[in-house]
Amino acid sequence: MTTVGAFCVTLNRDQCINARMPGKCATCAEVCPYGVFSLNGGNEVVVQNYNVCVGCRLCAEFCPENAIRINPAESELVSRYPWTLGTVEEIHHKALTGSYMLRGFGATGQTPHFDGIVVVPSQLASPAPRDKYREECNMEVVIGEDTCESPIRLQYPFLFPAMSYGALSKEAKLALAIAAAKTGIMTNTGEGGVVEEEPYYATGYEKAGRKRRIWEPGGYLVVQWSTGRWGVSADYLNAGDAVEVKIGQGAKPGMGGHLLGDKVTEDIAAIRGIPVGSDALSPCRYYDVLELEDIKKQVEFLRDITNYEKPILMKLGPSRPYEDVKAAALAGVDAISIDGLVGGTGCSPEVVTQGVGIPTIAVIGPAVRALKDLGLHRKVKLFALGGVRGGLDAYKAMAMGADGVGFGSAAQIAMGCRGCMACHQGNCPYGITSQNPKMRERLDPEEIGQRLANFINASAEELKILTMLSGHSDVRELSEEDLRALDVNTAAITGLKLVGYERALPWWENGHGK
Amino acid sequence: MAHAPTVLDAEGKDLRAASTELKGLLGKDAVIVKNAAHLHGLCGGLKSGGITIEGNSGDYLGVLNSGALIKVTGNSGKYVADNMTSGVVFVNGDADYGAAQYCYGGTVVVKGDAGDFTATMNKGATIVIGGDVGAEAATYMVGGDVIILGNAGENLGNYLIRGNIYIQGAWDSLGHNCTVGELDAEDVHKLGALLDEYGIAADAKAFRKITPLSDKPFYSH
Ligand SMILES: Cc1cc2nc3c(=O)[nH]c(=O)nc-3n(C[C@H](O)[C@H](O)[C@H](O)COP(=O)(O)O)c2cc1C
Ligand code: SF4
Repeated sequence: MTTVGAFCVTLNRDQCINARMPGKCATCAEVCPYGVFSLNGGNEVVVQNYNVCVGCRLCAEFCPENAIRINPAESELVSRYPWTLGTVEEIHHKALTGSYMLRGFGATGQTPHFDGIVVVPSQLASPAPRDKYREECNMEVVIGEDTCESPIRLQYPFLFPAMSYGALSKEAKLALAIAAAKTGIMTNTGEGGVVEEEPYYATGYEKAGRKRRIWEPGGYLVVQWSTGRWGVSADYLNAGDAVEVKIGQGAKPGMGGHLLGDKVTEDIAAIRGIPVGSDALSPCRYYDVLELEDIKKQVEFLRDITNYEKPILMKLGPSRPYEDVKAAALAGVDAISIDGLVGGTGCSPEVVTQGVGIPTIAVIGPAVRALKDLGLHRKVKLFALGGVRGGLDAYKAMAMGADGVGFGSAAQIAMGCRGCMACHQGNCPYGITSQNPKMRERLDPEEIGQRLANFINASAEELKILTMLSGHSDVRELSEEDLRALDVNTAAITGLKLVGYERALPWWENGHGK
Repeated sequence: MAHAPTVLDAEGKDLRAASTELKGLLGKDAVIVKNAAHLHGLCGGLKSGGITIEGNSGDYLGVLNSGALIKVTGNSGKYVADNMTSGVVFVNGDADYGAAQYCYGGTVVVKGDAGDFTATMNKGATIVIGGDVGAEAATYMVGGDVIILGNAGENLGNYLIRGNIYIQGAWDSLGHNCTVGELDAEDVHKLGALLDEYGIAADAKAFRKITPLSDKPFYSH
């Protein structure tokens, strides 16, 4: 049923041909079958009756000057769901081109997320709060302490997850490396090979071979081993401080990395060993793995090639978190990152980003239980990824049992991104996901590195506040008791106590959920 | 007087023990490794040295080889010379599934047959198979040369992006984005020299050449 006044009709008179030259054009009045527009006595187009507009947008489509905007008077999610403008446009795109939609960024819309959870502060019945201003809080996370000759000591329980050179510009990669050095956390090459400066920037040095750091305390670089093996050699594996075996990621689990030809410049083509301008579509699985046992063999030879010095990590997409994390831990890695449905990307088919995978808050619990069942919780470190926006989300993930979190999209936003989701096209106006020299010029790695470092420091402070007000002086003390689910759905998914009810839902209480 | 080669008996040793011992011996003469079939990823990432594996090898032999000369007198396990960047890996017998995948450079020679998905995602190595290869050989190859003296299975060269497949025998089917042509003088010269170098008796002119139709067969047409 058409609602009266369901749409606001706006005519931009500066652009409208008829407003400048009465009597000309008036296409809108001609094409609208409902009489929204008409011509007055002076042959000028006027909005005669916006109440009858049905939102077909035919006038906007025909307007040669793009002078017309039709906006729903109330949210389309209320008035037209599931046939929102986005859905309508997507179907038109497919009908016109025969191709499906690609885009950057993670899943959008309402899915179970950290916002369904609140932090429980300390009062009388639990250990007293700690004083954020005058007392210390330990946030260090060590990876590979008992297994590697050079373990990683993160000052904060944070990391920048894999974001490849190619998906990101060189300048963005270097900004991440500088920020990692300035905050003592780790950054990750992603699967596009290593940028020459990345290893020494990430550890705090301005030039290779320098003895004095310019960015203290110095961070770490993880190099990614993935299914496309772009730019991978023994030297590459030894260029970083750890190696990450990528199995999947939240935005496109079950698919490999996508780098479209528009972003494959000469430099990127040379690193990846592919023709300039051709698409780099990583295989969805390792060609050199036929069974789980082969993954274990890979972990062993990666340790051997890195001289048993560097931690070996694994990155999983959100599939069957309990079984997957168990398999990853049994493959012998030192840390596991598990990405959730909301996890970001530089490019993925829309349907995959939007509809495939388990939400982040639903993967953490099973992942933690898998490690606990193996007696490896807190030994094999667990990092939660996917939609983590700051210290509050970090606290919640860690109270659910993760040892730390990763900031992918949040790091992009800290660099200046406005979330337009067009990363795959290579024209990022902030130079973050663009290979266009004009756009890249806009991103100064030192300046943006400082912004990223500010974001990390602020998020660490948030985590510290929350940890201490809930009675702890070490992030490892956080537990599910520090959280409550705000709604039945979140309580059902996570096993957390429900606010008001003050218990876990019955099927968790009698052990079926655990 | 020439020294006798150093022998490493890998029996009962795990990868870490055998590899550490092997690296310690490499500065000396050529090394012969015995009883290594249970070790996966042996000779990984070596930059130099000459190693002969006596008998059969395990999986991932010579993974990420960066300059060593590695010979296997018997058969190799799965994924031999995986992700090699330079050097030579020579298998006197057959190679199991996935030989010479993801290589950026160097040479791999398998005297006998090789399994499915051989030379997948080759990015620049020269890979010679003396016998037959299985299905899906040279899938998504982006550079280098693959030379097959025998026959190939189904879907040969599927989504070939760049590089050449030279084949003397027949194939069950060709993959997407492949076209078949004849060798030019430069190809014949290159192939002849390679066959001579590895003592393979074959006439370079008897090969056909498979090359990509387009280097952008996915999204960027
Ligand atoms: C621009 C961009 C490039 C990415 N490239 C890779 C990659 O090369 N390898 C990988 O495992 N994940 C990649 N990811 C996924 C991230 O590592 C991480 O899983 C994700 O960003 C986490 O979710 P968040 O963005 O909500 O923080 C990429 C993400 C972005 C935004
Ligand atoms: S602003 Fe740049 S990084 Fe952010 S979504 Fe748009 S294209 Fe991607």
